Amino acid sequence: MTSGISRRTLLVNGALVGGATFFGPWRHHHVYAQRKDKPILIGLTHDASGQFANSGQDEQRGTIMAIEEANARGGVLGRKLAYITADTETTPATGSRVAERMITRNEVAFLVGAIQSGVANAIGQVAQKYGCVYFNTNSSSPTESGKDCKRVKFVWDGSGANFALAAADNAVRTFGKRWQLLTNDYVWGHNTSKATRAIATRFGAQIIDEILVPVGTRDFSPILLKVQQAKPDVVAAAVGGDDFKVMRQEVVKLGLDQKPAWLNNQQDWPDVYGLGIEAVFGVFGTTWYHKLPLPGVTDLVRRYKQRWPETRIDVPGNVFYNGYMAMWELVRAIERAGSTNNIKVIKALEGHRMSARDRLQHHDAWIDPETHHVQQTVYLAGRNDKPTDQTDYFKILSWAEPGKVRDPESAKTCKLQSYENTPTYEQ
Amino acid sequence: MDLLITLGPHLLNGLALGLLFALVALGFMLIIGVMEVINLAHGSLFALGAYVAVALVTPDGGLRLAALAPYFGLPIPSRFVVALLLAPVLVAGVGMALEVCLRRTYGRDPLYGLLLTFGAALVLEELIRLVWGPTERFLPVPAAITGGITVGGLIYSVYRFFASAFAVAMILLLWLFLQRTRYGALIKAGAHDSEMVRALGVNLPRLRLLVFAFGTALAAVAGIVMAPIWGVRPHVGVDAVVPAFVVIVLGGVGSFWGAVIAGLLVGMVVGITGAFATAWSLVSMYILLIVVVTIRGRGLLGKKSVLER
Repeated sequence: MTSGISRRTLLVNGALVGGATFFGPWRHHHVYAQRKDKPILIGLTHDASGQFANSGQDEQRGTIMAIEEANARGGVLGRKLAYITADTETTPATGSRVAERMITRNEVAFLVGAIQSGVANAIGQVAQKYGCVYFNTNSSSPTESGKDCKRVKFVWDGSGANFALAAADNAVRTFGKRWQLLTNDYVWGHNTSKATRAIATRFGAQIIDEILVPVGTRDFSPILLKVQQAKPDVVAAAVGGDDFKVMRQEVVKLGLDQKPAWLNNQQDWPDVYGLGIEAVFGVFGTTWYHKLPLPGVTDLVRRYKQRWPETRIDVPGNVFYNGYMAMWELVRAIERAGSTNNIKVIKALEGHRMSARDRLQHHDAWIDPETHHVQQTVYLAGRNDKPTDQTDYFKILSWAEPGKVRDPESAKTCKLQSYENTPTYEQ
Repeated sequence: MDLLITLGPHLLNGLALGLLFALVALGFMLIIGVMEVINLAHGSLFALGAYVAVALVTPDGGLRLAALAPYFGLPIPSRFVVALLLAPVLVAGVGMALEVCLRRTYGRDPLYGLLLTFGAALVLEELIRLVWGPTERFLPVPAAITGGITVGGLIYSVYRFFASAFAVAMILLLWLFLQRTRYGALIKAGAHDSEMVRALGVNLPRLRLLVFAFGTALAAVAGIVMAPIWGVRPHVGVDAVVPAFVVIVLGGVGSFWGAVIAGLLVGMVVGITGAFATAWSLVSMYILLIVVVTIRGRGLLGKKSVLER
């Protein structure tokens, strides 16, 4: 198909629009045209290196698979979806740089992807500056939908507070009141531990100590010795990514996985897959599991295997799931909005309800209009002593309705920018 | 007494860690001593050792050749021993290739050697990423050296005891090699005055090649022993080369026992801060280094070295 615009006209108009954007007082960031033959370009901001490289690549498999499936159905609004990727390196500064480049140079329509909350926050700030809708797919600091919330940002994973709310009461009653916190020394760790502290003490726990775990810690022996010396009833760990992988192996090697009781806030599938079922210990939260006895789950697993036959993670986990579901909801939101205009898409997302059937979960989910956080079913799981196959690591212990684990604190601290203060953005 | 009970386990743990730091540093030191080259690729060679071991121990660790199926039918202990013996030899080959590249830098500004080895480190890291991917891998160890044993009411990792004993054995063997063998004597002589060694009729290029291969093999051995503790990822070499450098400068460049003592000191400082001031654990070794070199410019047991020219 040929366009009706000559190359010269295109360049001149582009320069005029670019110049106007740069020099003028306007808050609009329109491109030269929104043509039907122009694909909707998605900027995928997934980590490919650093502490969360493994998870970043897993959520990328989810977003790409959803894009491909949407294109196979004809795209959205008559336009195909296209994507570009860049490694955000598990580094906020890189996340910020990547987001800026994708918006200003690549002219992406939307940004999708994040594991580390510092990176997500950095991308969110850039996205808000331009008005580009951004889906934080997998980072879980309560601040992402709390004090760092943004009008353009939507948070798809459960937060540390959701998981603590789902687990703390039962853990205090079952295991005891003397709690020790292990906190990864970055934004997610701090805020998750802060939420856990508040929630656990509300249920009667005493926090006897909090040990900070520097990001990149490879030797956990001093920390685990200290845990042994303190003899807590419960260790509530907010340690993520490769740090958690190393820590988990050390805990299991030492035989500390049985006592004290471990509450691992959240367990991302890429952080445990491949280590064997014996590497799973304690009780932890998740938003999805590939063995959930729900319609559609088996089919998604089949499609995943078909699309990604070479990957080292043989079955989809929660990180893939959040990426996949988020991307599909973006497609649906564009369809509902009938446009890629950011304000229209945001309005199509705020308060939107998603059926349990579509989301392959036990309860309907919705996008909280006050915080832009997806309120969804939260599962508690532990090690599976009776696996049905080599991928069956988890035993789902219980699941909580979204309304029961909604974090009231994030609603108090989140102050979304007004629509008027959010630049219009459309590609 | 209470303080000793509180600190004791962490000091013990720090000693074990220190022995491993010393093991990492010794290969680095040998190359600095004889070659007068600060081998910034030492960390990448350390990482390569760990990755080659992963390939030799785990069926999906990189060697996906159908012909190797019977080999991977062997139990983990056998494959672990094969890795411990074979991986250092293979990595030593890479070290020898690097030494050949380095030859043009001998006798010139040390900056050339530094830049070349820095470039080699980057290339090796990217090659590792290309072959094994960016994600973390783990080296399984024989069941006999896993688990924990209880000492004084606390559980210690059996593997750490194994790794410490292995490090002690390696340090002693290296010491005996340097003290009791002809090649050891040549290496020591080369470290003091390489031109005099050449004047005495020793094939200096060959000596350098062998020393580089030996130092590289030591890096690989250290990488394998540390792999089950630190994990295996492309940039794990940075975690090794930085403490190695600190240990060598702290102990005194060229001093064998200086490196061992410094390794133990660094291990204990990291161990104690890791327990009681974890936020400081990663920088504690630098603070120790600053304190020591402020008081003793050449480190604990150091003499005038290549770094001062």
